Parts: sequence; C-alpha cells; structure tokens
Amino acid sequence: MSTDTLVSDSMPTDEAPPESGKVESEPKPSASGKSRRLSLLPKPRKIEQDRVDALTSGRKALLCVDNVSVAFDGFKAITELTLILDEGELRCIIGPNGAGKTTLQDIITGKTKPDSGSVFLVGDNTDLTSLAEYEIAERGICRKFQRPTVFQGHTVFENLELALPGKKGVFASLFARLSKLQHERIDEVLETIGLADQKYAAAGLLSHGQKQWLEIGMLLAQDPRVLLVDEPVAGMTHQETEKTAELLSSLAGKRTVVVVEHDMEFVRSIARTVTVLHEGRILAEGSMDAVQANPKVIEVYLGGAPDA
Amino acid sequence: MKIKAELTRLLPRNGWIGFGVAALVFFLVPILNSVTPAGSPLHVPDYLVALLGKFLCFAIVAVAMDLLWGYTGVLSLGHGVFFALGGYCMGMYLMLSIGEAGVYRSKLPDFMVFLDWKELPWFWKPFDNFGFAMVAALLVPGLLAYVFGFLAFRSRIRGVYFSIITQAFTYALMLLFFRNETGVGGNNGLTNFKSLYGYALAESSTKLGLYTLSAVGLMVVFLLCRFIVVSKAGRVLCAIRDEESRSRFAGYNPTSYKLFVYTFSAVICGLAGALYVPQVGIINPSEFQPSSSIEMAIWVAVGGRGSLLGGVLGAFVVNGAKSWFTVALPEAWLYILGVLFIAVTLFFPGGLASLLTRKKAAT
Repeated sequence: MSTDTLVSDSMPTDEAPPESGKVESEPKPSASGKSRRLSLLPKPRKIEQDRVDALTSGRKALLCVDNVSVAFDGFKAITELTLILDEGELRCIIGPNGAGKTTLQDIITGKTKPDSGSVFLVGDNTDLTSLAEYEIAERGICRKFQRPTVFQGHTVFENLELALPGKKGVFASLFARLSKLQHERIDEVLETIGLADQKYAAAGLLSHGQKQWLEIGMLLAQDPRVLLVDEPVAGMTHQETEKTAELLSSLAGKRTVVVVEHDMEFVRSIARTVTVLHEGRILAEGSMDAVQANPKVIEVYLGGAPDA
Repeated sequence: MKIKAELTRLLPRNGWIGFGVAALVFFLVPILNSVTPAGSPLHVPDYLVALLGKFLCFAIVAVAMDLLWGYTGVLSLGHGVFFALGGYCMGMYLMLSIGEAGVYRSKLPDFMVFLDWKELPWFWKPFDNFGFAMVAALLVPGLLAYVFGFLAFRSRIRGVYFSIITQAFTYALMLLFFRNETGVGGNNGLTNFKSLYGYALAESSTKLGLYTLSAVGLMVVFLLCRFIVVSKAGRVLCAIRDEESRSRFAGYNPTSYKLFVYTFSAVICGLAGALYVPQVGIINPSEFQPSSSIEMAIWVAVGGRGSLLGGVLGAFVVNGAKSWFTVALPEAWLYILGVLFIAVTLFFPGGLASLLTRKKAAT
C-alpha cells in the first residue's frame, strides 16, 4: 500500500474486487427521508449508477441482489450470490434445506445484514442493507413468513387496515381515520383473497389456509412492488393450494412476486422462471423444464427423478 | 352529531354510563364527608377520604401500567421510579414552601440544617416556583423514561429481560436516593410539609381538594388512555404485542411506539406521584423499592390486563385488601398478595374486568 492512500484517511481503499458493488456515503434522499430515524444504523448508502447500469443493462430489472455473502459462525449461508428480478416477474426459488433460501429473504428484507455485497431497488438505488426493516417495507418490499403471521387479536378488517400504506408514525396513527378510498381498497383486497365474508371475524379464528391468504392480503394492501412469499402452500389442502396458485399467478404482472417453495407440483403450476439455490450459490436458473433437465440440479436436489 | 359519534367511539354507551356512575361516587365522597354530621350513617370519615385519595393516585398508575403492559406487552417492573420522581419533585416544592416554619427555624429544609449544609444546592433553587415544580414532576420522569426506553427498545430488549432491567433500574435509583449526598433527604426523605400553594395541608378543605383533584386526574387520564387505545395507534400497539416482527414488516417502527407509550405512562406516573405526596405527607426512597413496582404490576394483573377499567378495579381491590389485611393479619399480607397473583394468573387471566364484561354480555 502506498503512502498517499494512507494520507486520504476518509476515502475507502480500493482493495475490494471490482465485482463488489461500490457504495458511497450520502445523505438520505429527501423524498422518503423526512421522518427522523430512530436508530443507530449507519447512514443509508447509495449505489453508484454505473454499477446499476452494468447489472441491469437490457432488461426491466427491479430488484438486484449484488454479490452478497453472509456467514454465521463460519458457516457460509450465502456466497457471492447475485440475483436480478424483473418488473412484474413471478420467480420461484427452490433448493434443498440449508440452501440459503430463507437467509436470502432475510437479507432482502433487512432482518439479516450481509457481510458483503448490496441489495437495491432499481431507481431508488439505496443500499437496502444499510436500512432498518420498516424502512425497507416503506420502499415497497413485503414479506410473507412461512408460518402464517397475522395479528391474531384483531379482525380481518383491522389486519388489513394496519397494513394499508400511509404515514406509520406514532402521532399520525393517533389521529388517523380511514378515508372512503381506504375502505374501498380494503374491500377490494378482501374480494381478491376471498375473505369478504370473514371481514369482522377475529383473525385468530381463521383456518390455516385463510390465515395465509389474509397475510398475502395484508401484503397486497401495502401496495408492494416486490412480494416475497415463503412456502405459501405448506400444510394446505389440495383445494387451498390450487386457490393459492391462482391468487399468486393473478398478482404477477402487476408486481414482482418471489415464491420460495418445496412443493414441486405447485412450482410447476405457477412458475415461469425458476432459480435453484444450493449451498448459498445459484446452481441453475431458467424454465422449470430446463432446470429439471439440468444434470447438476438432478444430482443435488431432484435426486435423479427429472419426471417427478 | 359529529361530537356524539366521536364520544361513542371513545367509550360505548354502557361505558359512559359506568363512567358517570363512577364520577358520581367519586364526588359524593367529599360531599358526604363535609355535609353530613359525624354520627350520621351516611358520613364518610376523614380517614376513609384520605385512604380513597391514595387509591385514586394508585389507580392512575394502574391505568398507565395497563396501557404499557396490557396493550403493548411491555412489562415494566420499575414504574415506581417515575411515581417516586414525580413525588420528589412535589416534595421539593413542599419542602421549600415550609420556609422558616421548620424545626430549626432556618430557610433551609430541616435535613440540610441537620447535615450542616450552608446553602441550597443549585437544583433545589427553581423548585420554590410552583409552576416549575409541577412541570418538573411530569418532565423529569418523562425525560428519564425517554432515555432509558430509547436505550432498551432500540437494542430490542424484550419480555422478561426488559422486566429484569427495570427492576435493576429502580433498585439502583433507590440506592442513589438513600445517600445523603444526593441531596434529597437521604433515607428519611422529605416530610413535615406545611402548605401547598398557600393552602395549609392540615386543613380538611385542602384534603378534600386534593382528593377531588386526584379523582379528576384519574378520569382525565382514563379518557386520555382510552383515546390512545381506540385510535389506530392503539391497534398498532396490540399488533406489536401480538406479532412484533409482522408489525415491523408492515412498516411500523415498534421502537418508537414502545418509546411513546413508555414515556407517556411515565409522565402519568409522575402526575400520580405529585398528587400522592401532599396527601400522605412524606416521600422517601422506599417508594423506589423493587417490591412497590411489582405491586403496581399486580394491581393490573388482578384487575385485568388489556382493559383500562381493569387497572382501576385492581388498584382499588388490591389496595383495599392491603389496608384491611395489614391491620387484621399483618404477617400474612405478603403471602396473600403472592397467592392472589399466582391464582389470578393461573385461573383468571382476564382478571376482575373480564368478570364484569362477561356479566354484561350475559344480560
């Protein structure tokens, strides 16, 4: 290292490989940055436009996961993973246990901070790994957990009310009233998820499948740009699975939907593009048929049963 | 029409009737005390007025605790701190208003003369102003809660860990206030008060006035908390209690909501403490005892979590029982309290309030 790099103490040294997303410190954009941040997180970082262009040239990309790695106590959960999702796409992510599917979602939604790499929405270009969960949610990335997590004590209607976009600060909520438009929006979502009859039922009393739909409805009410859905049909009956497939397919096109799933039948019924994860890396990407014919995939995941 | 709709949103029809009845009972006490002669069967004796005045202050604390524990799911076992700090602010004002009527006929409070201090410490000086002392009684607990809450909640300290830290917090402050060097009377605390804002505390009219103020305070605090609970913010609080991570991904920041409720409840406890001290005539570090904070949680548990009414009921019932048992069976009281707490948690998780609402639903 030469002496002049030591002199410029505030500049980051350019030792990282050129693939890693270069980030620079910059004050938060004024559009969404007006509210005071109640956290001790570092300042939000911006991704350089050059890097964005290099990753997304020639496609209508929306969400980029750029060269992300994370290890837990030496176990490499995700290794140099790059994933680009297009606007309005329905993407399925499959992979054996421990492939890093859930960790990947944790990183995108801010629950886990990666050791290196960045995640950003094209256009917004803020490095999401430097933001808190609620700030990422504000930017339109929503997540459905594996276990249905709805607010059990509230009614279906109230669950959706809480999910609606808008100001979410304490004092805004103290004086908030639902407008006619918001009432209509809730009814619209209720119609979409097929729970209009259960509008005033306590969410804790719904069946497993209904809770899953309610949670998807809550994500829809947030009017998200990206919807992350973790194993939506686990534990569902056949009919419920079919209905869920219908629901998710109808959402794609308007929003980017990412489905993480084990159920191959289900993936085949909805997927256009499938990404296969294995040991924290992308093993294959393409249509379901192409992926299933891929010898590497057969070896690690499908266990030699391409016509399963 | 609009006002009517707002009022029914705040409390249902039956709720307003109950509120009115409670207000009537509260205000009937001082009237019966002063109008009826001592021998009449309707007469409310002085000692009962004083006792009920204390209970009203405890009920204010219980409402605040219920908002924090019952609705937000944050169990603080250190709210005695805020109650005591509000009390100390009031106590410092009352000390200074004694003037030269103390035992040593000095301008300084008696304990300072006793400790051979020559001058009033700097932080005592503004407390001879009544307005300042009242504002301080609300702001000092509020500010401390804000700082403590910020550090705890942003580190995502939750559940039993938070409860334990608040216990340590109140214990640490107890040790601090026991020291003479802290400058607020050491283990004797502040006492021998003479007058409040020119009214002699020994006068029965002053006592009735303080009782009435406490009753008004309780009703205002109840409606304020009710306003929070029925607003969207109240639903967010329950959402944070039930499913914190979901609320986070729905775009709410639980830290700021918890911090708001924690600080708000601390301010209310400060108010209760300031109303309490002139009625009992003393404030000392025993208010910081971990056990007194735990008792506050028991009021809420017995009365019923998650319904503000439960806090009020619990404060009256538990303290009523305490007053009776500490006279009748003084050694047994702590055992009874312990058994009561365990029994309610095991067999009666909804508390007294659930009994009331269930009865209402049946009729």
